[in-house]
Amino acid sequence: MEFIQRKTADRAVNHFLLKAADQEITVAWDRFEGQLPECGFCESGLSCRDCLQGPCISHPFKDQSKLGVCGKDKDILAAQSLLRLVLKGTMSYLDQLNDFVTGIQAGNVKPADKGQADQILKAIVDLMHTGNSEVVDEFPAALVEAWKTVGITPQGVATDVFKASQRLEGGISNMEETLLWSFKTALLGCMADRLQTRLKAAVFGPTTASELEVNLGILKKDVPTILFYGSVSPLLKHKVAKAAEEKNVSVMGVCTDPLLPPYRFFPVTTYVSQEIPLMTGAVDLIVTGSQFVNPSLADVAKDWKVILVPTDGLNQNPDPDAWAQNIVEQAVNAFEMRQTITRDIPMVKESAVMGQSAADVDINKIIQALNSGKIKGIALLAGSNNVKYTQDEVLVTVAKQFLANDILCISEGEASVSLAKYRLLDPARRDKDCGAGVNELLAALGENMPSVIDWSLTDFLLALAEAGDKALSDYPICAYFPEANRTAEVTQAMWTVAMGVSTYFWPCLPVTGSAKTQQALEDFCRDKFGASLHVVTQKIDARTKAGLFLKTIEAPAAMSGKSWE
Amino acid sequence: MQVIKVDPEKCTGCHQCELWCATEIASVAKELAGAIIEEPQPVPRVYVEGKKLALQCRHCVEAPCLDACPNGTMRRDKETGLVYVHEPTCIACWMCVMVCPFGVINPSPTYKVAIKCDRCRNMGYPICAEVCPTQAITVEPRQDYRKVF
Repeated sequence: MEFIQRKTADRAVNHFLLKAADQEITVAWDRFEGQLPECGFCESGLSCRDCLQGPCISHPFKDQSKLGVCGKDKDILAAQSLLRLVLKGTMSYLDQLNDFVTGIQAGNVKPADKGQADQILKAIVDLMHTGNSEVVDEFPAALVEAWKTVGITPQGVATDVFKASQRLEGGISNMEETLLWSFKTALLGCMADRLQTRLKAAVFGPTTASELEVNLGILKKDVPTILFYGSVSPLLKHKVAKAAEEKNVSVMGVCTDPLLPPYRFFPVTTYVSQEIPLMTGAVDLIVTGSQFVNPSLADVAKDWKVILVPTDGLNQNPDPDAWAQNIVEQAVNAFEMRQTITRDIPMVKESAVMGQSAADVDINKIIQALNSGKIKGIALLAGSNNVKYTQDEVLVTVAKQFLANDILCISEGEASVSLAKYRLLDPARRDKDCGAGVNELLAALGENMPSVIDWSLTDFLLALAEAGDKALSDYPICAYFPEANRTAEVTQAMWTVAMGVSTYFWPCLPVTGSAKTQQALEDFCRDKFGASLHVVTQKIDARTKAGLFLKTIEAPAAMSGKSWE
Repeated sequence: MQVIKVDPEKCTGCHQCELWCATEIASVAKELAGAIIEEPQPVPRVYVEGKKLALQCRHCVEAPCLDACPNGTMRRDKETGLVYVHEPTCIACWMCVMVCPFGVINPSPTYKVAIKCDRCRNMGYPICAEVCPTQAITVEPRQDYRKVF
């Protein structure tokens, strides 16, 4: 089936897409076209493969086949489809944290702040075992109380992840309870993520706002280049970066954390175009994790003679120092061997400021600006790319609309990289994008402040809750995931809602098969957390998507007054 | 005459044809998420039941429904040879439903009209053939079996 839509808004990527088409190399967009039409039952969450009596569906257009063999109806199927995603997403956060902790416990690194690191390690063990961890105290007391009332405070891996996964095995939990299990699991992921950020600061020193460069133009012609793909253990990254520095090898990243003090891993591109850097010929070796890494990389790497080093294989090198040295040596050798391959590097790169935190930005000034009406609200932007949308287009349009309408934008992770490619994280460009109110606030926040602030969303929300005198749900804040695709992002959206921040998520989550489940994400969640997870099924353009939040600020949706039954 | 052929060897019984037929032909929304919540519920014109085989109107050369229809509601398009229901004149007598040898004409659960596949005669290509993931549903010229035998 043909799918006619502009593939990317990134001109560097576009250059290589034309090249790929010429040379008949398949990229993600071609494979997506081959998948069309995607299964409608799976897309709307009406299918189930949890046992071997199926696969079952709930047919939306026929009076028979409404229930699965075991009796799951469409509401349960949709809620469970969401739970399945959240479980996987939470496990991705737990896996990252586990890798990091294992490395520290094996003595592979000497923490910068030993006392702090030990304290966090204890908090992690407590969170995993009983949930009774000091990280819970970081969240506003009223919020934690609300979670307790609903029954979703994390109680450790066994009670959260294991029990939640058993909802998919059977039992008579209703749709609302299944949704609450998703929130409970997501909160565990939230806390794991939070602890990982803190542990990183304790081990490698605090992250400060740093200047970076993004996009394919940063690749280098004359030195060996190593790229990190996806989440790789920070310990290995640190050691490789150190070894590479000694041998004049450049180390960059794709879909990986760009800041690991004192090293910076410049982001080369974003998720959906992750094969493109290899097609430049300017990459000699890639070190890959699992999350965010497309299996297609293996084939592309073979075509372009790029060495592939997976970091989570069954037989890993137990000594990370020797492994890091070996990786760098392999890269140097590969550079010599690959001299015949043309290095086609487009002249497209932008500078960006990333890694802001409460230490760099005065949150009180933001609260004052909100109270005085200088800014109308705050938009949190997150999520990577999705092949279903023109790469970066929705995200950038939404951000520009917000800024022009005096809404402060905070972004993190992949979303920041996407925005940075269009100079939205470049302080020099601030005046052109922002409305007067936001511009004034940003100028007051600091000299080197870009239009969009790159700040961990959870960190920002906690700082806001601590400094302000209101609950998070009472602020005009909204989270946007305009081009999301990974399960980790679904988990993040769920915990953002549980923290009291309404969230818009595209593409539609697999709950559209059940009007009741979709409604519960709006009303039931608003009843319990003061925020909704909006699943917008209408096909609307990027400007209209931005308008959804603008409209709620002008006329907040009234509560019906009735509680969800 | 171009007709839909279904290969039972290739059909996996995935019900995608039903899903998109209801969305494209029977719904007002014309997109899945909207069609699912629509009232009255859209009804597909193709049936995947029991054995793995999609079944829709065969547009018979000697169509019994055409003979059974008392007031000419069931019609044949002269140009394409396709059999269709002219809905405004249907009196819901269900004679066509009774005589159809394949059971692919059914009363609408909501309106007083018979519903059946018209091979998407107003579209370029039938939607079931377009979406079939295994290409079990194809559009081919009808073989003249009188010549074959």
